[in-house]
Amino acid sequence: MRSMAELAAIFLAPKDRDAVLGDLAETCASGWSAPGPVLGLVVRQQMELWRAWQPWVASGVACAGSLLLLSASFGLSMDSRQLLRGERGYGSVLCEALLMLAWAWTSGFMVVSLSAKTRWASGILGVIPCLSCVVRFHEASLPRVCVLLFLLPAVAGAVHGVRRARLSRRTALTLAVTMTVLMAVWGGMYLRNWFFFLPAGWLVVHAERANRPRQEISA
Amino acid sequence: MLGEFEYVLITAAAGLGENAYGAAIREEIEKGAGRTCSIGALYTTIERLEKKGMLRTWMGEATAQRGGRAKRMVHVTPKGLHAAKEFYESMMRVSRNASWVKGKPERAS
Repeated sequence: MRSMAELAAIFLAPKDRDAVLGDLAETCASGWSAPGPVLGLVVRQQMELWRAWQPWVASGVACAGSLLLLSASFGLSMDSRQLLRGERGYGSVLCEALLMLAWAWTSGFMVVSLSAKTRWASGILGVIPCLSCVVRFHEASLPRVCVLLFLLPAVAGAVHGVRRARLSRRTALTLAVTMTVLMAVWGGMYLRNWFFFLPAGWLVVHAERANRPRQEISA
Repeated sequence: MLGEFEYVLITAAAGLGENAYGAAIREEIEKGAGRTCSIGALYTTIERLEKKGMLRTWMGEATAQRGGRAKRMVHVTPKGLHAAKEFYESMMRVSRNASWVKGKPERAS
């Protein structure tokens, strides 16, 4: 059976876990007194992470991005309904869908690649607006999940960020330019959508920083 | 410049030499500085100093006394030694006229 300290050490990196549990065994700390120091270290490590600017920007992007993507998902659902009624063209809705996919993917990628260690905090900050919106959603003709269309591509982007995959510079540039062109074609160059140049720009900057060897992927 | 606890940690690790690892450093600090040292404070400071290039750490051997768990060995780098020396000298300079310093020069009244 696992001791209390071992359970508390789940939150530590494997390297730290071994060193800390070994130190506790060596100093004969056990029982109820052992988890305290381990949890203290977990809290201190988390606080140390937030001394940098990256977790703050990542959390801001997660929160603001999810709010804007909720609205983009809702807009796409409404436009898809109009498409089915024949009130909208295929091209416009396709552009909108592709844009939403790209916005969500790049936002998820940016949040996690900026600060992978605080991804759970960023995730929670991104999920809170979603839950609030789903609970309050009242549109008889559309299901509640229609505002969450962005979740899957956002999670896919975040998974790529966790794997520390790096887009090649050409791919990142192509994606950023494609997003801009799609916005121009779709006619969505209004204020809300300018926010999404941030993750697109991040992709390009992130791809430029090739000083550390990383796995390269081509999207 | 180093913080006070950073200085204490580097001094303890440098004093232990090749035997410097988490539990030993903690014991040295508690014995030498007469203050309690939490595991949280110790490892977050080690992490911070390693990022600054003042310490180098690696996983050492596992012993039965530690329940088969590895030690996190610590080595003070030349940069760390230089920073600690600088901290010590600045403390000595700042303290030279303090009333508790033995052998301080008498002030003219």
